[in-house]
Amino acid sequence: MLRKAFSVLTFVFMLLFAAASQFFVSVTVAESSEDEAASALASAEGAVVSAYQAVLKADEAGANVSGLLVRLNEAGELLTHARMAYRLGDFDSALDFAVRSRERLNGFVVEADALRGAAMQEHYWDFMVNVAGSIVGAVCVVCGGIVVRFLLKRKHERTGSMVK
Amino acid sequence: MSLYEHRVLFLTVTWILAFLVASPALSRLLVFPRTEFFTELWILDSNHRVDDYPFNVTRNQDYSVFLGIGNRLGYCAYYLVEVKFRNQTQPAPTSFGPPANRTPSSLPALFNITAFVADETVWETPLTFSFDYGYNEILSRVEFYSLTLNNVKVDMSDYTITWDSEKRGFFGYLFFELWIFNAATNSSQYHERSVGLRLNMTVY
Repeated sequence: MLRKAFSVLTFVFMLLFAAASQFFVSVTVAESSEDEAASALASAEGAVVSAYQAVLKADEAGANVSGLLVRLNEAGELLTHARMAYRLGDFDSALDFAVRSRERLNGFVVEADALRGAAMQEHYWDFMVNVAGSIVGAVCVVCGGIVVRFLLKRKHERTGSMVK
Repeated sequence: MSLYEHRVLFLTVTWILAFLVASPALSRLLVFPRTEFFTELWILDSNHRVDDYPFNVTRNQDYSVFLGIGNRLGYCAYYLVEVKFRNQTQPAPTSFGPPANRTPSSLPALFNITAFVADETVWETPLTFSFDYGYNEILSRVEFYSLTLNNVKVDMSDYTITWDSEKRGFFGYLFFELWIFNAATNSSQYHERSVGLRLNMTVY
């Protein structure tokens, strides 16, 4: 009798333990899912800020950043969805959106830096030809005019013409 | 023909030629500098006009507007738009007066919109929203359940509007605050601009 009661009690304990372990496992999974989503969100936000700073530098150098801005806006929209999903407690969607936002910016900074380099090179040649070149050209025209006038004046003096 | 007789002509031709050669440089140097740097923020109705904004709101009915930003800051900007809702007694943002007095509303944002806008360009997005709410006859007030903005449902269970006996209606304000990311401080700050819609929440 006592043996039967003991085995029933053991069975009940085992059932309770199994139920409790499932509860703790689900709580732990939820917490890890939230942590994972928070981490992915922070990472995506950092990627967006880095990408924006790269675009800002490329823009300052005079690069055409319209293509980059399209991608950046797409990543920003995904990040917005990630933030909203996180606030609503939908951590799986938040994680998915954050990862997609970050993926959208893969290789973005390198591309922005390449555009910046090309723009700086272009800016340099534009300055050399259109600003420095044209100023030097104008000075040459004035100097050439003075030299021509001086030579013509000397020629006229030699031939006896009256040049004042 | 002597050089003396054509001296004026010679000098004129030389100077005109010099100016022609220098014109690419002059075109860059003689540009009137930009002196005003600002951002435009607007809402347009569903027809891209300003004469048919949603006003009388029915529960769970979709309404559409366009939100636009014009960047005239001289650089590519990173904007954040915070979508908020308030009743007649809750704090509104300030967009006028001395810059130090312009502050955002202390209410929490229901929704955020991110926009990267190049200098001298505009950015525009359609917004479709609807409110789910009920009328509490005992307390004579409108109690909100949720706002659905561009298919995203946001909880509004803390929001209520009481009857405005003066204007005879349940008036709420859906407003959009403009924030800008400051690359120097690595944070967003209120950009001293907001636009909003005054809405009459109908209960019957």
